[in-house]
Amino acid sequence: MTRTPQTLSRFLLALAIASAGFAERHPAAARQSSLKLAAAQPQVTFNRDIAPIVFRNCAQCHHPGEAGPFPLLTYADVKTHGRQIAFVTSKRIMPPWLPEQSDLKFADELRLTDAEIALIQTWVDQGEIEGSPSDLPPQPAFSAGWQLGKPDVIVRATKPYLLPAGGSDSYWNFVFRTPVHRSRWLKAIEIRPGDKRLVHHANVLVDREENGRRLEKEPGAGFGGMELIIESEAFDPDSHFLFWKPGSPPYVEPDGMALRLDKNTDLVLNTHFQPSGKPELIQPTLGLYFTDKPATMHPILLQLDNDRMLDIPPGEKNFLVSDDFTLPVDASVLAIYPHAHYLGKDLLAIATLPDGTKKTLIHIGSWDLNWQAVYRYTEPVDLPAGTTISMRFTYDNSTDNVRNPNQPPKRVMAGNRASDEMAHLWLQVLPKESSDTTDPRVAIQEALALHHIQNNAEDFEAHYNLAALLQMKGELPGAVLQFTQAVRIRPDDPTANNALGAVLLASGNVNGAIGYLNTALAKRPDYFDAHYNLGNALALQGDFAGALLHFRAAVRLNPQDAGAEANLGSALAETGNLKEARLHFERALQIDPKNELARENLEQLNRDTHDRPDQR
Amino acid sequence: MGRRWHSFRVVHLLIVVLVAAWIASFASTFASVQSTGFDLAGNPIDPLKSAGGKVVVLVFVRTDCPVSNRYAPTIQKLSAEHASKVAFWLVYPSKSESAEVIRKHEREYGYKIPALRDPQHTLVKESQVQITPEVAVFDAKRHLVYHGRIDNLYEDIGRVRSAATTHELEDAIAAALSGKSLDVAATHGVGCYISDVE
Repeated sequence: MTRTPQTLSRFLLALAIASAGFAERHPAAARQSSLKLAAAQPQVTFNRDIAPIVFRNCAQCHHPGEAGPFPLLTYADVKTHGRQIAFVTSKRIMPPWLPEQSDLKFADELRLTDAEIALIQTWVDQGEIEGSPSDLPPQPAFSAGWQLGKPDVIVRATKPYLLPAGGSDSYWNFVFRTPVHRSRWLKAIEIRPGDKRLVHHANVLVDREENGRRLEKEPGAGFGGMELIIESEAFDPDSHFLFWKPGSPPYVEPDGMALRLDKNTDLVLNTHFQPSGKPELIQPTLGLYFTDKPATMHPILLQLDNDRMLDIPPGEKNFLVSDDFTLPVDASVLAIYPHAHYLGKDLLAIATLPDGTKKTLIHIGSWDLNWQAVYRYTEPVDLPAGTTISMRFTYDNSTDNVRNPNQPPKRVMAGNRASDEMAHLWLQVLPKESSDTTDPRVAIQEALALHHIQNNAEDFEAHYNLAALLQMKGELPGAVLQFTQAVRIRPDDPTANNALGAVLLASGNVNGAIGYLNTALAKRPDYFDAHYNLGNALALQGDFAGALLHFRAAVRLNPQDAGAEANLGSALAETGNLKEARLHFERALQIDPKNELARENLEQLNRDTHDRPDQR
Repeated sequence: MGRRWHSFRVVHLLIVVLVAAWIASFASTFASVQSTGFDLAGNPIDPLKSAGGKVVVLVFVRTDCPVSNRYAPTIQKLSAEHASKVAFWLVYPSKSESAEVIRKHEREYGYKIPALRDPQHTLVKESQVQITPEVAVFDAKRHLVYHGRIDNLYEDIGRVRSAATTHELEDAIAAALSGKSLDVAATHGVGCYISDVE
C-alpha cells in the first residue's frame, strides 16, 4: 500500500567562520613630517579641526555601551588620550580598516586621509588646544537601544557564557531557538553580543537541521569552536552574510532579498572574545525584523579555497595559497569576506574579465584576524560569464609573525582550530537571470563543486554537494557515484550515509540502500530522515514489521510530519492493525489536509473495512 | 614583510627620540629622592620606605586602559607568588581617577594589592615609566633595577601573542632578589601613554 518512497537528503554547505590585524603603513614618515611642519602650521584646534574627524570616525565605537574602551565625545575625552590617538592613527591601527584603497568602494569605509592623520599629530604637538566654542560641531547622538527600532522578536541566549579573566582568545557558539510559528521573511538581524568591549566579531548561521543543538552538552548550553559546518537545504540559507563587528550598524537586506525563517529554525551565533582581565558573563540577544516582502532575488555564497595547499613549513615567511574559479554565468558581486587565521599576511582577490581587464576585488596588505569583516560594495560589481576570480593569500609561519600561535613555529595545515590555518574567500553573488531554463545558481554551484573536486579529490563537501545537485536534476546514477565518494571519505558520517541510502532507494536499489541507512542510524540514532528512509526501504522489501519500528521512531522524533504519519499508517495497515492505521492516516490529514497518500489510503481502508465494524 | 618587525622597531626608536628631552629631565634622578604617592584615603605614602627591606614593584595602571586591564590576572598572580619577598603596589597616575573609581576598579579586576594615586607623577618620574602597564622594580637598597614592560605578550597595540615568550618582570624580580644585574634594565611597554593623563 505504500507508494514510491520519498527520499530525503540534504545539501551540505560548509560555512567557515572565524575571527584579528593591523595596518601599519608609513608611521615613521607621517610622524616626521608632522614634526617638521608643526612650527610653520597654523594653530590646530579641537573644536574646529579635530572634533569633526573624531565624531565621524571614532565616536561610533567610542561612546558608553559600545566597543571602544573609553568614550571619545568631548574635548576632555580626546585630550586625555591625545598622544595615544596620535600614535594609533599614525600607524593606522585605528580606526580599524583592513582593505587597501582600490577602484571598488566599500560601504562604511573607516579610513582617515593622510591629511587628517597629520592634523591630529600637529594638534598634539601644538599642545592640544581646545579652540573657540563656536567652532564645535554638534556631538553625534547615539541611541542605547535597538539601532533599528523595536524588533519584531527578541531572542536571548538560554545560558550565559563565562569568559575567563585571562588566557588566550575564546570562541563560543550560542544556539537560539527562534520562536516563529510559521515561515517568515527576515530583513534584518540586530546582533547584541553582550558586552561589546569583549566581542571582536560575531556571525549568525541559519541552522535548519539542528546541527548546533547536537553539539551542545545540554540544551541551551552552547558549544566551543572557531569554525562551524552547518548542513542545509540546497542554496539556502547560506546566501546571506549575517555579520556583526564593533561600530557597524545592523544591515537591512534590500527588498526582495529577505531570508526565509521557518518554524524550528535555529540561529547559531558564532563569537570571538578576548579576555578583559576580569571574568565576564556573556549572554547575547538577537533582534529579528520581519518583512512581508518575500525573496525574489536569490544570491548565493561562493567559496574559493584551497585547503589542500595549506601545508606551511615552520619558518616560512611567504607561503602562497591560490585558487582560481571561472564563473559559468553572468553575476554581480555584492559583498566579500576573506578569511584566514593567525598566520595570514596578505590577502588578495582579483577578477580577470574575459577581455583581460583586471579588477581588484579586495586587497588586505596586513591581515588581522581580530578585525576581519564582511565588506559590502557600494555598487554591485558586475562580472560577465567567463570571468576568473583569483584568490592569492600569503602566510607567515616564522617568528617574525608575533601572532603565530606556535612558539617555536611548527608545520601548520588546514583545520578549524585557532592554531590551524584557513584560506577561504567568500563572495556573495547574485547570478543574472537568463532565459535558459537552468537555474543559474545550479550552474554556479555545480561548477563550484566540480572545481573543488578538481582541487581536492578528497573534498567531502564538494562530492556531497555535487551529488545533491545531480539528484535534484534527476541524474541519479551520477548522484549515487558522488554520494559514494562522500561516504568513502567519511564512512561514519550519518548525513552522507543517509543521502546515499536515499538516492539508492530512489534508484530502485533497495538492498544497497539498507546498509547505508543502518550505518546512518548507528551513528545518529535520533536521525528522523534515516528512520523515515529505512522504514520505506524495509516496506519495499515487504518487511512491514521492521518498517513499523522505524516509522514509529520517525513520528516520535517529528510529530508534525504528515509523510511519516501516513507511512506509519500504511505499515500498520499492512501488518493488519487497521484501527491504529486509521488514527495515523487521520493524524496525517490533520497535519496536512492535502496529503494524498493518507487520503487515498484512508479511503481504501474505509472500503476494506466497510463490512467489518470491529476494525473501524 | 619580514620588514614588519623592523618597521616596528623604527617606530619605537622614534618615540624615544620624541620624548628624549622629557626623559632627560629626570633620567639622572637618584633613588634616594623622596618618592611619595597617596593611598586611597589620601595619606602620603612612600612605597620604597615602607617596604621593610623587600624588593618593591610598582605597577602603573589606568582604569580605562584595556591593555593594563588585560594584565590584571598576571599582575595579581605574580604578586601572590612573590608575596613573602616582594611588595607590589598598583600606581594610578591619573589625577582624574578618584579613590572611589579606583576601589571599584580593584574590586572588578580582583586586585588584592594596595593601590596608590600619583597625581603629581612623582612615582612616574622616579620609575622612568611612560606607559600603562609598565613596571618599576627597586631592590632592597631602593635602586631602580628595571623599568618597562611586564612581558612581551603585546608586540604592539593590537599585535598580541597567544602567550608571552619573554618575562621581563619575573627576570627583574629574580635579579633584584639575588642581587645580580640585568642585561636589559629598561624596555618599552605597549599600552597607554601616561603623558596623556591630567
